[in-house]
Amino acid sequence: MPRLTFVSPDGNETTVEASTGDSVMQAALAGNVDGIVAECGGAMMCATCHVYVADDWAPKTGTPSDGERAMLDFAASEVKPTSRLSCQIAITDELDGLTVHLPDAQI
Amino acid sequence: MSFAPTDDTITIDQLTRDPYSVYRRLRAEAPVVRVKSIGRTLLTKAADTRAVKDNPALFSNNDPNTPMKRAFQAHTLMRKDGAEHMRERMAMMPTFSPVNLKTIWGPAYEKHAAAYLDRLPRNEVVELFSTLAGPLAARILAEILGIPDATDEEMQFWSQALIDGAGNFGYADEPFKRVDGCHDAMNAMVESRVPLLKAEPDQSALSVMINADDPIEFSQVLANLKIAIGGGINEPRDSLLTVLFGLLTNPDQLEEIKRSGNWSAAFEEGLRWVAPIQASSRCANEDTQIRGIDIAKGEIIMTAQASANHDEELFEDGDKFNALRPKTTHQSFGSGPHHCMGTHLARLTIGKIMLPMIFERFPDMQLVEPEKVVWWGFGFRGPLSLPVRLN
Ligand code: HEM
Ligand code: FES
Repeated sequence: MPRLTFVSPDGNETTVEASTGDSVMQAALAGNVDGIVAECGGAMMCATCHVYVADDWAPKTGTPSDGERAMLDFAASEVKPTSRLSCQIAITDELDGLTVHLPDAQI
Repeated sequence: MSFAPTDDTITIDQLTRDPYSVYRRLRAEAPVVRVKSIGRTLLTKAADTRAVKDNPALFSNNDPNTPMKRAFQAHTLMRKDGAEHMRERMAMMPTFSPVNLKTIWGPAYEKHAAAYLDRLPRNEVVELFSTLAGPLAARILAEILGIPDATDEEMQFWSQALIDGAGNFGYADEPFKRVDGCHDAMNAMVESRVPLLKAEPDQSALSVMINADDPIEFSQVLANLKIAIGGGINEPRDSLLTVLFGLLTNPDQLEEIKRSGNWSAAFEEGLRWVAPIQASSRCANEDTQIRGIDIAKGEIIMTAQASANHDEELFEDGDKFNALRPKTTHQSFGSGPHHCMGTHLARLTIGKIMLPMIFERFPDMQLVEPEKVVWWGFGFRGPLSLPVRLN
């Protein structure tokens, strides 16, 4: 099972075991990670699952689609080049060890 | 095969007066149950209500049998699925962006809230339902939607007519007649604003929808503005009255919130305690199962978020208002692709602006005969009055 690490704005790290095929958002909810709200349940319609992918992982998680980019405009915290909606990142074995940073606010 | 048990004892009257005691029993005895009087399969556990709403592929919003289409004279975004729903929802979304909330709607609400509070008389009994909560919700909504000339009375009358029509499951004549009468007035109001907003666009929902690069059909612009009229007044009104009731009947909690300034937590607790929209329905697209119980294709599922918010698995003493409870998530804004578009607006205006403002102005506000306040409603729920004395 791939392991994912969520880093909160104050530097706290939470590592969860995730199932391949799930999204990073689903893994966060299953692992009770504070800081992912996911109001729309992964429908790419809320921007409350916003994360910053750690720089060295960004090439592996890929880039947002046009729809995801449009929805990122609604994020409550600053959007950076590494911003993603975590419901749109599907977990693969390749992403074992992935680290993402949580924004200051989702709402 | 194990179909849901049928309960033929629960009456609509019971669900309207005291749904929470019915839900408590159902969560323990029959969390997936066919309720004869409402003709639907009712879900009362938090895990089930959320799972249904988060799985739009299996559970569609397009319930073919609701009176909503008749009442709205249209197929609105609330009853659409997938790409079609997304296109119409995204057409209105820019109005509700975080930057617009912060720079336009928040300051506008603050101004109106101050003016409406200024009007309230001191040292006599004031009914907050009709003098503050209803009209103020109407005022800010009229501005946000782009029809500021609609009066508070018109907005509230239209809203209630749309709600009563959409909830007219008995297909009685009066509610449909009343809402039919409102459509002409609403359409005329919206149409009169179009040339102005084409010439001078702003961030209102009407303006954003008609000035988009690839606009949706004008019939859908109208239909979806009406969804916001029907869905944007009662809930802010009822949630404000509910949280005020909760705080005023629990003075120790009120003192602590005044000290901490955590008004948002009080607001969330009010929403959890009595969800303004108590239940939402979905239609099964295929044969499936919930909690090991068979659900047939075409079956209408009623997800009771009101009950989810009192689920013993998540909340201790869920029937009690407790603004100091540890942070927990409620489902009062729904979830999944149709989750409330006004969520952040409501949190900002009521939780961050109105609550601190009203208690700063009237620190000694007193409820008058709280035991006489009547709580009412099955689909929508709130107190029917909130008499207070201000000084
Ligand atoms: C405390 C206040 C409010 C509460 C508790 C609330 C609750 C809800 C709920 C539960 C739904 C989902 C219904 C379903 O899943 O079938 C919803 C949808 C919706 N709400 Fe709200 N609402 C509130 C305020 C507002 C306001 C102020 C507006 C408009 C400015 C608004 C606009 C909408 C719209 C347009 C939808 C339909 C979204 C869709 O189908 O995609 N709401 N609301
Ligand atoms: S969960 Fe809503 S956009 Fe990701």
